[in-house]
Amino acid sequence: MLDARVWFIWALTTLVAASATRSPMYIIVLLLTTMVVGGTCAAGEGRRAPLSPLRFAMVAVPLSALFNALTVHLGDTVLLHLPSWIPLVGGAITLEAVTFGALNGLTLTVIFAAFSVFNQVTPVRDLIKLTPRAFHEGGVVLSIALTFIPQTTRSLQRIREAQAVRGHRVRGIRDWLPIVVPLLVSGLERAMGLAEAMVARGYGAVTSQKQPVRTQALIIVGLLTLLAGWLAYLFNAAWRAPAVAVIAAGAAAIGLAIWLTGRGVHHTVYRARSWTFGDSFALLGCAVTLAAAWRGRAALYYSPYPALTLPSFDPLMGMALLGLLVPAIVTVAREDAEMHRHRDGDQDHDSSSHQ
Amino acid sequence: MRKLISGAIYLLSGTLGVLAFIYPFFTSGAALAQHGAAHAQDAPLLTAGLVGLSVVALLVELQGRALSAKTVAMLGVLVAVTSVLRFLEVAFPMPGGFSPIFGPIIIAGYVFGGRFGFLMGTFTLLASGLVTGGIGPWLPYQMFTAGWAGLSAGWLGGASRWLREEFAGPALAKEEPRITPNVSHTDVIVLCGFGFVWGLLYGAIMNIYFWPFAVGPAAQTWEPGIGLGETLARYGVFYVVTSLAWDLARAAGNVVLLLALAKPMIKALHRFRRRFHFQVRGSHADLAEMESHA
Repeated sequence: MLDARVWFIWALTTLVAASATRSPMYIIVLLLTTMVVGGTCAAGEGRRAPLSPLRFAMVAVPLSALFNALTVHLGDTVLLHLPSWIPLVGGAITLEAVTFGALNGLTLTVIFAAFSVFNQVTPVRDLIKLTPRAFHEGGVVLSIALTFIPQTTRSLQRIREAQAVRGHRVRGIRDWLPIVVPLLVSGLERAMGLAEAMVARGYGAVTSQKQPVRTQALIIVGLLTLLAGWLAYLFNAAWRAPAVAVIAAGAAAIGLAIWLTGRGVHHTVYRARSWTFGDSFALLGCAVTLAAAWRGRAALYYSPYPALTLPSFDPLMGMALLGLLVPAIVTVAREDAEMHRHRDGDQDHDSSSHQ
Repeated sequence: MRKLISGAIYLLSGTLGVLAFIYPFFTSGAALAQHGAAHAQDAPLLTAGLVGLSVVALLVELQGRALSAKTVAMLGVLVAVTSVLRFLEVAFPMPGGFSPIFGPIIIAGYVFGGRFGFLMGTFTLLASGLVTGGIGPWLPYQMFTAGWAGLSAGWLGGASRWLREEFAGPALAKEEPRITPNVSHTDVIVLCGFGFVWGLLYGAIMNIYFWPFAVGPAAQTWEPGIGLGETLARYGVFYVVTSLAWDLARAAGNVVLLLALAKPMIKALHRFRRRFHFQVRGSHADLAEMESHA
């Protein structure tokens, strides 16, 4: 299993690469890569995506093609004409517009598939661990919420059953009242008990209740700097480079405030996860794809307008996009190694029992 | 002094967030036009970064003041209850953009104040995103917008309490103190109106984050260099064509939900608000004293 941070960077890299192209060749490479990674890495995970990428594509591609065809009347290959008196959609329906819409739908499918894989392969506890120390209390709130969700779901079921026994049937929105209010009250009772237990165990007893003025001042300076840089960036083209530097300085000030806030929070883990060679290898794969997508923006570009043409395909770019396949390679290699280890262990066991 | 500093952070973060969302509406286009298409592509990416930074800054300020155990527990449980409602939304697709999560966020903000409302909005979207597999590039925008809904509901609650004390002060003083306050029809109507507005506003704000990237007919898409009036007109057409019907379902759903749930939920939350007012006295000072004696 790869580190949650590596999976996050992998999903972001797929997002960047997919957003940079509309060429069907590269989109298909990305889609296949994502599906292979999903099939290899997410197959053994218990979490299922609420909607499979295939189903998403079946809705997104035709809808996007239809919307683009009805609203964009560009392109040379006219399929049919809608009467021009129909507002917005009236005009020529072109093959180019249909193609571009379908490609947009495919791009959305790639992004959706990548984040589906991310959601499936990353355990929730690892995602919470990604929370910076400054947001320690936010992490506690999130942990409580995620722990209480199964309990709340069971409560909802119990309350529904209890009300059904009393002859209550849900027909309209008002009928939810005898279910939602007891659910809320029982949840708040649990919150009361939890708060008392937390106070009894000294939660927050040794923490100052006030944010230091120094940190607050730093946040204000950071926000003011960001605002100034952003306005300069938008309104004066000559100041663009200094404006980006000012924005970076503002971001650094906010980063410093986060670091100062998190400095006082001590974080311990029961079983620390160590960084592996597989993590570095997967990160390297993402870096290769990102660098190629950044440097080869011209190669990735494709537009079906004004007349549909065959998209070009650069094999080197295609290879670079395969950098996103590394998590699947790492997973297969690990499974292979584990299988060999088990087999060797079984053989040792057999030979010792024979002796 | 601290209130002033906190207010300044709220204001700056809000201004930055709003400007980042609506920058296509107020740029004169002169600067953008000079740099052409490349600059036009950079601006939305920079905007995404700015939205992220402003939500982070606001979160540091809001939860940096060491949330009490009571707030942490109540927030966690309310987020869990609201996330279960989002399960229902995923399991049984509802009409248009209707989502049952906005009603509880608005009511919690209304009762417990803006800070609680903002945290409730952001954490509800985050927790439910984690459990329903809804993590994606859209999540920070959803968190920020839902946070704003909760924050402004807190201001609405504050304004409503102030108005009641200001205009019905003597009458209230004569009344017997009550465990749960009277929730008038006016309160419910105001909340319904608020829910309706946020139903539309949520969609309109969420559209803006991708609208500058959108490809479509010239009458509906943003281009660098067009003025404020033209931008508003094009966004209006885009919104009416692509989102209004969807968002109306959300707005109407909010109204129906608040009409049915606002009164009993406000009463229940008020009752627990009073019960949560227990205090552990001198814990910090006592510990310091004990340490000095040791």
